[in-house]
Amino acid sequence: MLKSNTTMAPPVRTAARPFRDLYYVRLATTGLSFMLFGVGGVLLGVVVVPLLLAVPGSGAARRTRVRRMIRIAFRFFIGFAHHSGAISYSFSGAERLGRPGQLIIANHPSLLDIVLLIAFTPGAGCVVKRAAWRNPAMVIVVIAAGYVPNAPTDLMIERATALLAAGECLIMFPEGTRTVPHRPVHFHRGAASVALRAASVVTPVFIRVEPPSLSKSVPWYRLPVPRAHFALHVGRDIDPAAFRHGPPPIASRAFNEHLAATYAAEAAAN
Amino acid sequence: MHDRDAILAELRATLIELFELDAGRITLDARLYEELEIDSIDAIDLMDRLRRQTGRKIASERFRSVRTVSDLVDTIHQLVNET
Repeated sequence: MLKSNTTMAPPVRTAARPFRDLYYVRLATTGLSFMLFGVGGVLLGVVVVPLLLAVPGSGAARRTRVRRMIRIAFRFFIGFAHHSGAISYSFSGAERLGRPGQLIIANHPSLLDIVLLIAFTPGAGCVVKRAAWRNPAMVIVVIAAGYVPNAPTDLMIERATALLAAGECLIMFPEGTRTVPHRPVHFHRGAASVALRAASVVTPVFIRVEPPSLSKSVPWYRLPVPRAHFALHVGRDIDPAAFRHGPPPIASRAFNEHLAATYAAEAAAN
Repeated sequence: MHDRDAILAELRATLIELFELDAGRITLDARLYEELEIDSIDAIDLMDRLRRQTGRKIASERFRSVRTVSDLVDTIHQLVNET
């Protein structure tokens, strides 16, 4: 019935597995995690964030407050998914995320990438799909948090640059959209251009999901065996200043190639 | 730079410098995206440069309707002759 032996179907026999590894238990915890995310997201967007906005404060203070609330909510969600056994994750080097003017870039194999990055990066802004501004549950959150829509490109670059120049930390996925795992990355040049315009430092985060899960190629109920493990690893800082010479279009192409090569080298090493 | 010939000359020099294009490719009817391979990110770098050269900001809505070198010359021409 299933094409692959790395996904889990309803059991034909009851093996001696830990309780939380049983198919229906995992289906339940996975389903609950999705529900928590959905319900939590709507609560955040329709109740919590509007309430936070009602508390007086400057624009920047409000934004900071909203971002902190999102981080706490995402941290809680990740904790639930992890401890209930729906997923597992590891995150090395997270303490180097969240510095002023830091541009964090990451590959984008799964739905949880942005959730994990925001959960572990204090005060981060991020570039988010413009569709979020048309989603009634999300629009208040993305506006209140001062996130940057990914289109149109010129506005994205302008806002992302302003945010970094103001000393905030920004998360971008140069691939633009979730990708099929184990394919070479293709980076759009927007992140490289933003980096050269304003980032004090560029920090790559390498994300691996084994076995592939919550990617575009696998339906959610086809549970991977073993459970999906999200391994995030913060790479060495890249100094964009080394690429800031010559005409900007040439420089951003060179920098983009350097970033893509960094990811290709990481993939080859694994 | 107020007449179209002067604008074209200066634009040609800018395109050569920014994108390392061969001068021969920059004809009036050359399409920026398809023929000169100037993508949306390049266009922003080009806008930044033109703003510094002309002292005026080209609205991005205006630039989105630009297809060819000739369109761009027209747009700059209108811009610098606006009061």
